[in-house]
Amino acid sequence: MNTSIRIGHLYSSLLSVAGDRGNLFALQRRSQWRGIGTEVTEIGVDETPDFTQFDLILFHGGQDKEMDVAARDLGPKAESLRAAVESDVAVLAVCAGYQLLGHYYQPSRGPRFEGIGALDVYTEAGPIRFMNHIAVECEFAQGSRQSLVGFENHSGRTYRGQSVGPLGRVLAGGGNNGEDGTEGAIYRQVYCTYMHGPVLPKNPWFTDHLIRQALRHRYGEASELEPLPAGSEERAHQAALQLAMRSKGKVTAIEATPWRA
Amino acid sequence: MGTMKQAMGPIASARLTLALSSGKLAGRTARALRMGGGTSLPGMVARRIDPLVLRKVIGRTRAAKVIVTGSNGKTTTCRMLAAIAAAGGKGVVQNRTGSNLLQGVTTVAVAGANLRGEMRADLLLFEVDEATVAAAAAEIQPDMILVTNLFRDQLDRYGELYSVAGALERSIRALPETATAILNGDDPMVASFAADASRWLLFGLRTAEVGTAVPEHAADTVRCVRCQHDLDYAKVYISHLGDFRCPNCGYARQPLGVAVTGVRLGLEGTGVTLQTPYGELRFDLGLPGLHNVYNAAAAVAAAQALGLPAEGIPAAMSSLRPAFGRLEPIAAGDRQVLLSFVKNPISYNTTLRTILQRPGPKAILAAESNTVVDGEDFAWLWDVDLEEVAPLIPWMVASGSKAEEVAMRYKYAGVSEDRIEVIPGLAPALDAALARTPPGETLYILASYTPTRELRKIMETRGWVRPFWQE
Repeated sequence: MNTSIRIGHLYSSLLSVAGDRGNLFALQRRSQWRGIGTEVTEIGVDETPDFTQFDLILFHGGQDKEMDVAARDLGPKAESLRAAVESDVAVLAVCAGYQLLGHYYQPSRGPRFEGIGALDVYTEAGPIRFMNHIAVECEFAQGSRQSLVGFENHSGRTYRGQSVGPLGRVLAGGGNNGEDGTEGAIYRQVYCTYMHGPVLPKNPWFTDHLIRQALRHRYGEASELEPLPAGSEERAHQAALQLAMRSKGKVTAIEATPWRA
Repeated sequence: MGTMKQAMGPIASARLTLALSSGKLAGRTARALRMGGGTSLPGMVARRIDPLVLRKVIGRTRAAKVIVTGSNGKTTTCRMLAAIAAAGGKGVVQNRTGSNLLQGVTTVAVAGANLRGEMRADLLLFEVDEATVAAAAAEIQPDMILVTNLFRDQLDRYGELYSVAGALERSIRALPETATAILNGDDPMVASFAADASRWLLFGLRTAEVGTAVPEHAADTVRCVRCQHDLDYAKVYISHLGDFRCPNCGYARQPLGVAVTGVRLGLEGTGVTLQTPYGELRFDLGLPGLHNVYNAAAAVAAAQALGLPAEGIPAAMSSLRPAFGRLEPIAAGDRQVLLSFVKNPISYNTTLRTILQRPGPKAILAAESNTVVDGEDFAWLWDVDLEEVAPLIPWMVASGSKAEEVAMRYKYAGVSEDRIEVIPGLAPALDAALARTPPGETLYILASYTPTRELRKIMETRGWVRPFWQE
């Protein structure tokens, strides 16, 4: 049987600020190397597909102006997106995508951006921007701890309600709000994070986890993935983990430099 | 600024002299010790001693002061403008080596002035980093600001594109009425700064000979700067640069003061025809690539606004050769190296397109390092369109402190891992790459600023290329 997964890439051109399309490349390659096909549908402004027809949805980040466009466009998409979340479609949401899946994002100036409320989280702009390497420890299943590494670049502070768990515990970096020691959110098969980098290429175990969830959505059963040889992904992961631990405690990777005083 | 000369007392003058002499000494010492070109050290030392050194020297000169800024093409545009001015018999003082933060800009003053802070020059040309432009413009009080373009560049250093744009807009608004803004009319955001200037001149392309109908993936400003609606393009030349129009609010490209109406792209150079206030100009530009056509249009527009004679332009433009690490051909024994400084998706893509015009397989040395200049976040590598070149890469070497990340990016673009050698050290990486390059063939080096500089330094010590401060 030819297996394949259906990926919906939400606002693929609108929200593509920091190389986040690398997440799609990682999913495609790691599927392809195992003989799993990927059908990718790009979803733009004014388009209202049935989101429950996808096995995996990507919803990436953008700057405030792009986020404003997305927020104003989400209304007619919201019901179908919430239905997809409730039917266990896998979702990876990054930065603005994360914030817009929640109740709202309140920027430091101007009116707030309304989210679709698929997750019980809300976000408010904070005084400092977290711009640094970040490392997180995840425990999706009891006893299986794994690290996630990336680069965060956000001033939003996100707070979770009780139905939503964190993606992981912050080892180094700001994470959700710099206060509660958590980063990101998990609700059903929705995985939210502030991590760019992009997040998936350097965290192959997380990429594979999403592919497994997408396969389960499509075929209704849990399947083990054929293991791939460890390569530059694992080494890049280790390098990023060391960088994050080294810059622990700093808000920005590049501290204020004298010529900008 | 004219009052500073009278206002400066003996202590202020002594401090200036000490700052200038110490800065000059630091530059000489750095060169003598072969520490590098001394392109930012003199300015840094002088500013420590006298924070007003740049303001004081600027206040004592009658030269026209020009700031060139923007994401891409600053260095080349400055070289072009300097060549045109020199051809017109003007004395030019400039920072020529891509050292464009405030220390590098101050180095221009330190190197160009005598110990009393006087400078013999008709034109002071400052290449300024787009995030430093507000601070630099306040000290320089320029007669002209030229903005080449604005692309997403090192997001982790500057926050977001729009905040850089905001700082530029404020700098242009703060210009005196007599100053001129030279703006890229094909860049929807840069062109919008014309509204903040009392005098401006737009440059751009107006030709069907090059360009496409749809922006490439990495394009930055494809939405209207006024109403955020998606822009329509009659023609896209590079990224988001082109003949744009907003179907919602009507914001559109304005008539161009300097328009490129003919382009003939070659491997080593480019035939260019321009319509300008001088009349029609034709020349053979000694640099390849469409991005250099934009740089040429920018330089001609600035020359025109400065009142430089047009007669020298064709000879000046044809005499140009690639700058430090800008698709710079270097003979490495019986192998050829093409050294390319790439710093963001657009410059990477532009370089790849030029490389793809050349026949044959593409042996590549790709290097990235995390430094203050090159940033910490290399996510932008995923916005580079490597997929087209990947099947043409027989083998490659990934190098720099980010070697693993570079290797991973090329792997996911389709270069299988057994064709990628990871060698973080730049010298051994260069040796390994050259050893695998057959005699007579070309090694393409694609690297960000710091590794480009270091690789070039290695090739300087081997006598393959002259140190860049001598050029």
